Amino acid sequence: MKRSELLGIAEGWFAQRGWKPMKFQYETWRHFLAGRHGMLNAPTGSGKTYALLVPVMLDFIRRYPKDYQERYDSGLQLIWIAPIRALTKEIEFSAKTLCEGLGLNWRIEVRTGDSSSSVKNRQKKSMPEILITTPESLHLILAQKQYPRLFRKLQAFVADEWHELLGTKRAVQVELALSRFKAMRPNLRIWGISATIGNLDEALEVLLGNAHAPSSIALVKANIQKKIEVVTMLPDEIEKFPWAGHIGLKMLEKVLPIIHGSKTTLIFTNTRAQAEIWYQRLLETDPSLAGMMAMHHGSIDKKLRHWVEAELHGERLRAVVCTSSLDLGVDFRPVETIVQIGSPKGVARFLQRAGRSGHQPGATSCIHFLPTNSLELVESAALQQAMDEQFLEHRQPYVRSFDVLVQYLITLAVSEGFYPQVLFKEIQSTFCYQGLTEAEWSWLLAFITHGGESLNHYDEFHKVEVAPDGKFQVTSRRVALRHRLNIGTIVSDQLMIVKMLNGSRLGTIEEYFVSRLSPGDIFWYAGRNLELVRVKENAAQVRRSDKKAGAVPSWMGSRMPLSSQMSEMLRFKLNQAMMGGTKEIEMQTVMPLVEKQQELSHVPGKDEFLIEKMKTREGYHVFMYPFEGRNVHEGLAFLMAYRISLLQPITFSIALNDYGFELLSDQEIPIEDAIDTDILSPDHLFDDINASVNSTEMARRKFRDIASISGLIFKGYPGKFKKDRHIQSSSQLFFEVFHDYEPSNLLLRQAFDEVLEFQLEETRMRKALVRISKQKIILTEPRQFTPFSFPLMVDRLRERMSTEKLEDRIRKMKLKLEV
Amino acid sequence: MTPLEAEVAGEQLWLHPLKGLFWPRENTLMLADLHLGKAAHFRKEGIAVPRQAEQQNLHRLGQLVASFKVERVLFLGDLFHSRYNASWESFGHWMQEFSHIDFELVIGNHDILAPVDYQRVGLKIHQGGLVCGPFLLTHEPLEKPHQKGFNLAGHWHPGARLRGRGRQHLSLPCFYFNRFQGVLPAFGAFTGKMAVKPERGDRIFVVTDQEIMPFSRN
Repeated sequence: MKRSELLGIAEGWFAQRGWKPMKFQYETWRHFLAGRHGMLNAPTGSGKTYALLVPVMLDFIRRYPKDYQERYDSGLQLIWIAPIRALTKEIEFSAKTLCEGLGLNWRIEVRTGDSSSSVKNRQKKSMPEILITTPESLHLILAQKQYPRLFRKLQAFVADEWHELLGTKRAVQVELALSRFKAMRPNLRIWGISATIGNLDEALEVLLGNAHAPSSIALVKANIQKKIEVVTMLPDEIEKFPWAGHIGLKMLEKVLPIIHGSKTTLIFTNTRAQAEIWYQRLLETDPSLAGMMAMHHGSIDKKLRHWVEAELHGERLRAVVCTSSLDLGVDFRPVETIVQIGSPKGVARFLQRAGRSGHQPGATSCIHFLPTNSLELVESAALQQAMDEQFLEHRQPYVRSFDVLVQYLITLAVSEGFYPQVLFKEIQSTFCYQGLTEAEWSWLLAFITHGGESLNHYDEFHKVEVAPDGKFQVTSRRVALRHRLNIGTIVSDQLMIVKMLNGSRLGTIEEYFVSRLSPGDIFWYAGRNLELVRVKENAAQVRRSDKKAGAVPSWMGSRMPLSSQMSEMLRFKLNQAMMGGTKEIEMQTVMPLVEKQQELSHVPGKDEFLIEKMKTREGYHVFMYPFEGRNVHEGLAFLMAYRISLLQPITFSIALNDYGFELLSDQEIPIEDAIDTDILSPDHLFDDINASVNSTEMARRKFRDIASISGLIFKGYPGKFKKDRHIQSSSQLFFEVFHDYEPSNLLLRQAFDEVLEFQLEETRMRKALVRISKQKIILTEPRQFTPFSFPLMVDRLRERMSTEKLEDRIRKMKLKLEV
Repeated sequence: MTPLEAEVAGEQLWLHPLKGLFWPRENTLMLADLHLGKAAHFRKEGIAVPRQAEQQNLHRLGQLVASFKVERVLFLGDLFHSRYNASWESFGHWMQEFSHIDFELVIGNHDILAPVDYQRVGLKIHQGGLVCGPFLLTHEPLEKPHQKGFNLAGHWHPGARLRGRGRQHLSLPCFYFNRFQGVLPAFGAFTGKMAVKPERGDRIFVVTDQEIMPFSRN
């Protein structure tokens, strides 16, 4: 069949629906049909799904031009990876529509953690032609016996919303799965779809690994400029607007007219707890919203989530309060308006959310930004300027994640087994593990076969065994079962199911939260007042209550750092404000606050670096304001703490936010001496970072995820397998034993490396310090907390660092009475 | 490493930073929650805890026994973590080096070895409580005062939470004493701890690598 004929089939279908293929769609089709891999850079709602579904089907038609409409059960042709479950239904729908239009008898199926076991069993026997799935579910398939059979016909692999996966360990899972597929299917075509990010080229490199000729790779840009209108909601009186806080209820009443003035509104919050609170308070303030408003977040049961999604499609909801669970892809045409509560912390995320509205091509997206504290007004102004300049963030990919690799090796050992010589080459072909050495590989093999050390006759370590022919495999059914339950890289706290007394499921909740409640206590969950009746077998049984809730569950979670792009913009805006050159309404609104800062302390100009010191009942405070974003501040705070501690043994409690950080101590902080000894100098940075990382808790915290991903800690799943009590332990204990007895353990080293790569990233810190070293240091002693210092002072989530002798610290302490 | 003397139920007791409690009048050493074999048990299930964690337990136990003139060692339960594994034999060998000492175990919830395993290494076992002078030894701490004596127990893995100026917090293993009982810290490496909630009049002895540091709530 000629190419024009082939393309004609697709054009015909487009024409039937009154559409015309866009340039980037044509381009993608052509590249795909020419056998290339690539990346499609296109925003949500632009037709990107059809850009890649169409050529996969055309390719099939090309192979079977005579009877493509009569072929059934053709085997798995395409794997489509979606980062979140809400996205899968949408793609399924598009694929089914297209299949029908082209007359293909393809099965299109979704496979996620939500899929029933009957679906999973059917797929074990016979795969659909298109499988829409998540990285975790894909690895679960690789953990099945005889999985290679399922991929014998595989033609293409698409990673949708790849920018969302990149920068997480889920992307590493995709890389590993792909390395396996490429070995089985050398002609497999690999495509990514990504929104615009700062490092699009790197994103493509990560997806493809390092074994492709440049001529076989294409980068297609949709170049669709979506019109976005941002409206910042302003407080009536800036003097009464809070200096700190992230919930933002103060301006709740201003959201109501937005909801009523629009067909459907999505209200984005940054955390699940915030979503719960907002939903509750909106209903209380305006009872007429009852029945017209819903809530959507990741801990709510899938049935409720699906219901909300269906109601949105059906235009039966006025408003949905949601978290990032509705960030992606889903094409909710009825959505007219977006409200973002609190800073989105990044330009790319804000654009993504704005793009949820005005979904039709050419429509304008409207997003209302509701600041939760005064300084977020400055962020809003910075955000808009960054958007105008397309100043977008990079997503930093993980490299050398040994935890994910350990998990993957066992996945393969559980299913078909593997030969190390063969597998090593596959793994080295990925971006993540291109630098994996022979020595590290041997260590990993030793770790999974005899627990990391040389073999010892006393030892009964039992996990992966080596068959006489050299094949690595798991023979124990128990090990296999436990491993399958543990696959994944998203680590959460131990979860409990929330169930009504009649047995219906509402969702999951952190065990930690439930453990603080007693039967009879009322809490607010999934948009209702619930009374805890009892805890039974890993389920919290509840009933509805009319009493007022006392608690809202907090899901541990993400405090998003301000991206460095945003930070730079923020410094620029503050500067502008001081120079009197601000036109934006946001900046004018926040001016009284900036003046207050100037009155109490100082507002640093372009060539100044502000340090504030204070003494209160709590102790001695030092605040510094680099305006570099949380991540850099974390590193700088530890570096400053470490350098000060070289002057005298001292213990610090450290708070940080996107604007600066606080060092708090029980003893006077010799900040003047420290400034004299150049603590802000970029000299000896590398050594000092390495010294300070050892005296902090950061690596210990990183190890939590690593221990879980690599299978050291086994939590089971809500409602399943409570038996293994005797092999449950905390990541803390593992961290300690490795630290004490096996310091060269690669998983332990990985924890420190991740800190150095992501938190104490030397290049970013050096850049900041070089900038600061050219600035004049202004040290003030304000008589009260300033608009800058107040949000830091009230922050309860603190890091610690100490160089004092433990016994000396204890001697100054008291028993804590509440537990 | 210096032990600290404390008066309990009219007796002088020595609290040692290695998490043992020595009763000089009876030359008796008491320990709780060794969880021997825990690392091996994990390893058997394919979870790679370093083996040295295990060897360290016996090493510290030897150090502790050598610190006093010990004639009798009482384990207050959870001596062995789970089902039988080779670590039990290492412990048996270790015991042979101290043939002049009587070793006894008050059975705890983790002690599920067959009676013959205890017998074979020469360990005397006690089900339920054991009365010893003014003391009533159990594994799980009693809920209320008992007429048979001042209760000494383990099981909780007690930890103390401390706070200081400048928002400092620490959590450390401890000996916990109230008016009718004392709870020993968990001896075993690779065991966790549980925060105790101090009541008025309680005494807490915080354990560091170097010292025993007393705290009380008045």
